[in-house]
Amino acid sequence: MKVTYSWLKNFVNLKATPEELAQKLTMAGLEVVSLEKQGQDFVLEIEITSNRPDWLSVLGIAREVSAIYGLVLKDTLPRETKIKTKELWPIKISVSDKKDCPFYSARIISGVKVGASPDWLRSRLESLGCRSVNNIVDITNYCLFELGQPLHAFDLDKLSQREIRVRRAKSGEKILAIDGVSRQLDQDILVIADSDKPVAIAGIMGGKETEVTAQTRNILLESAVFDPVLVRRGKQKLGLQSESAYRFERGVDPQGAKRASTAAQELILKLAGGAARGLKSSGAVQSKQQVINLELNYVSKILGISIPAVKARQILKQLGFQVKAKAAGSLAVKTPSFRQDVQLPIDLVEELARIYGYEKIPQTLPAVKPARQAPEAGEIISGMKNILTGLGLHEAITYSLIDRQLLQRAGIPADNGLIEILNPLSKEQEILRPALIPSLIRAVAYNLNQQQEKIGIFEIADVFSGRQNAVEQKPALGIALCGTEAFFTKQGLVRDEITLLHLKGALEILFNRLGIRDYGFVPQEDDTISVTAGGAQAGFLLELGAQILENFDIKNRKVVLAQIDLEKLFTAVNLSRKFAEIPKYPAITRDISFMLRQDIAVEELLQTIKSRGGALLAQARVADYYQGKQIPSGFKGLTLSCTYRSDSRTLTEEEVAPLHNDICALLKERFEVKLR
Amino acid sequence: MDIQSIQAQIENDLSAATSLPALEEIRVKYLGRKGLVSELTGSIAGLPVEQRGQFGQQVNALKNKLQGFLEAKEKTLKTQPGVSQKTGVDIGMPGIAREPGSVHPITRIIDEICAVFTRMGFSVVSGPEVETEYNNFTGLNIPLEHPSRDAFDTFYLKNYSKLLLRSHTSPVQVRVMKTQKPPLAVIVPGRVYRPDAVDASHLFMFHQIEGFLVDENIRFSDLKGVLELFAKSVFGQEIKMRFRPHFFPFTEPSVEVDISCIICKGKGCSVCGRKGWLEILGAGMIHPNVFKQVGYKAGLYTGFAFGMGVERIAMLKYGINDIRLFFENDLRFLKQF
Ligand SMILES: [Zn+2]
Repeated sequence: MKVTYSWLKNFVNLKATPEELAQKLTMAGLEVVSLEKQGQDFVLEIEITSNRPDWLSVLGIAREVSAIYGLVLKDTLPRETKIKTKELWPIKISVSDKKDCPFYSARIISGVKVGASPDWLRSRLESLGCRSVNNIVDITNYCLFELGQPLHAFDLDKLSQREIRVRRAKSGEKILAIDGVSRQLDQDILVIADSDKPVAIAGIMGGKETEVTAQTRNILLESAVFDPVLVRRGKQKLGLQSESAYRFERGVDPQGAKRASTAAQELILKLAGGAARGLKSSGAVQSKQQVINLELNYVSKILGISIPAVKARQILKQLGFQVKAKAAGSLAVKTPSFRQDVQLPIDLVEELARIYGYEKIPQTLPAVKPARQAPEAGEIISGMKNILTGLGLHEAITYSLIDRQLLQRAGIPADNGLIEILNPLSKEQEILRPALIPSLIRAVAYNLNQQQEKIGIFEIADVFSGRQNAVEQKPALGIALCGTEAFFTKQGLVRDEITLLHLKGALEILFNRLGIRDYGFVPQEDDTISVTAGGAQAGFLLELGAQILENFDIKNRKVVLAQIDLEKLFTAVNLSRKFAEIPKYPAITRDISFMLRQDIAVEELLQTIKSRGGALLAQARVADYYQGKQIPSGFKGLTLSCTYRSDSRTLTEEEVAPLHNDICALLKERFEVKLR
Repeated sequence: MDIQSIQAQIENDLSAATSLPALEEIRVKYLGRKGLVSELTGSIAGLPVEQRGQFGQQVNALKNKLQGFLEAKEKTLKTQPGVSQKTGVDIGMPGIAREPGSVHPITRIIDEICAVFTRMGFSVVSGPEVETEYNNFTGLNIPLEHPSRDAFDTFYLKNYSKLLLRSHTSPVQVRVMKTQKPPLAVIVPGRVYRPDAVDASHLFMFHQIEGFLVDENIRFSDLKGVLELFAKSVFGQEIKMRFRPHFFPFTEPSVEVDISCIICKGKGCSVCGRKGWLEILGAGMIHPNVFKQVGYKAGLYTGFAFGMGVERIAMLKYGINDIRLFFENDLRFLKQF
């Protein structure tokens, strides 16, 4: 909304500079987003919040200015030209539904001289960015900007039967609007029609056929109130915006319609001549003026500061409210018709605070009473992020909305149970993702293109699926690793190509830190590895196959990924700790080095050893593994480390030797290992 | 040799010295028992009496200056990487450690902001991203067909009527208040979605932090106090603040909070649009209609709520000029945080 400094001065005796005014308006909730000098005048552009249709006029803003500066608002009603009965022309108005159009009024002015507007009118409109058309149209626009009431002038002689019907459009009807575009109408759209066709889209835009032109002699001047929701739906449906619709959808002042009609008629008679020939209206102006009881105690209870009663009364009066003191500390406040937004005492508190000044309200610190609650999922997630970043992974955030095609490229079926978006702006916002993996692969591919050698990223976010007409949203952890990690040791730089075992290692550390006791990694038929936690399946690991790598244009690289269902994982999380006695007696450790057939799983071997070792075998683990020249193909070289210990005595070599030999023998016969 | 040319020679020698032994040689050459300075001191006796005092002072000044130079040079030589004589370690070689990872800058900002509020006693709560139309709008006093909806353009779900992607984190207010009675002190970070055309400052997905405090006696002055404490903790004690009246359907009185521009310190620059102020959050006293929607008895409780955009704050704090960088996940970007 634009307003000029000089126009405001018509209503208030402003002394403040335009800069100071802009600052004060901003601090009263009318944010001045730009202030421009234009000739001798200044144009203020103000962002008007959607609750204040009354600010969509010079008068409305002047009223604020009067309250801010304590100035008198010079708000005088125009004098209406009387019409003699014998000069009246007949007008026919019908409104088919009062709900669509609670009030409709039409004036007839005959014999006008349509021409250019005088300079003062022209320049006022142009300073607000409104193009001058002719004196009649300019006057309706002038009244719109000054009073906030949209008006429309028709060429009376082009209205068939000189009749106005306010009704819903019939399906199949069309109108050529004044912007030159023909529009298809339907029953959701309210129109102004004559006896046979729509001549305007009610409250939104007039029609070309009946517009006022240089040839127009007689006019019909419309001033009405339309249902805000209907105007809003109509403009959305037609994709049309106008100064008129902008005001109607926010709700105009019901009493302003009459006043603007009079003001426009008088200005037309003055600037374009002619004679007033009649006024007819349908419906009554409904102004819901209510009386609100305002306790001043309530004001200070909300604001934390008390505003003196005298000051409060003054502010409200200058904003257009009628105020009567009731008992001490209590005001009866009657709302003006242009403030339909004010309905509750809190609305008045806001008015007082705004004008009194937010800056006058002190700053206090409340006594916050913290909630008593167990650690929430969010805290576990924070902890997980700490662990994962400590493991060298970088947190990524990718879009939850993706295109279907991304799923297909990642080898995930893109049909069942997908949550689709009804109104995406582009293909990239087609669906809510059911998995994190596709987005992570894309991020890996992106970074490979940026010549990154080692990529280790993770994301924790919700994934979505449709289950029995309900949307399931569950938090998930996704990890993607790719490339070669290079790190220094004392011997120099070591390069290590990332494999599934790196991913397993990261997850093991994560699970251990979260106190998850029984987790496992179980190979599946489809070459993925299922991750179990607390006995239940909680996710999977996989290495991308050739086809998917090709889909993402990834060449000569291994990409390994994991996705874990965090709801499942959380059920297995145990953050409590129990101290286990530190062993009192020393242990004896024996290593065994051997070659094992490639197809035998180490896990199986370890399980067997553990059951054979009995109570004295405290631990058996892989201490080293190697492949290379010394190891024939089809085999892997392994060193197992067996730790023997007793909780009641110091073990002797003699005690351990037979047990260890037994284990070596077992390995030989059961797994056909070749000891080295 | 006069004092001035001696000093020039000293400076030359010093700048040429690259090791501690070389420096020691210089010290001996000038300050040693048979060094130039003691030679000069010795020559005082041979001067006419009236010149002795002045010359003596000059020699002393030179001596002091030289000592200062030597000490300074020694310090720089000692801090420069070199090979330890004892251990043979060249400390200029790369340190041995695995490269650590990083949390996303958005997470960093969320953690930083949540920490400020949890120190005050707030609890962190989360809510679902797929929301009901009721929680996102009606429960928050936002009429479904009113221009106040324009600020909350929303993605709806196909085949699930009345379900949508939350366009702000405020629906968690409704969720929490419907299930719990005050006192409530809650902070809610999370993803939100709006069908905005993508450019350097708009995306269809971003993050917000919502907070609210509800009790029997919470006032607007408390809102000001808490938000000032927050803003100064996050943006620095020296910032100025401005509370500007605004409109949100779910709060009244409502306010937009500006801080003095952290780039230009309020003088006006391109980041703040020459205004000197940066808008960082919206807030207000929770509207009585919201309390009514969640079933609280009228007039019993008051409270305030606030909401802020995380990306905007991250962009301001880290000097990031394109919002799309956050979700490109370029490691060269992520590793900076
Ligand atoms: Zn600035």
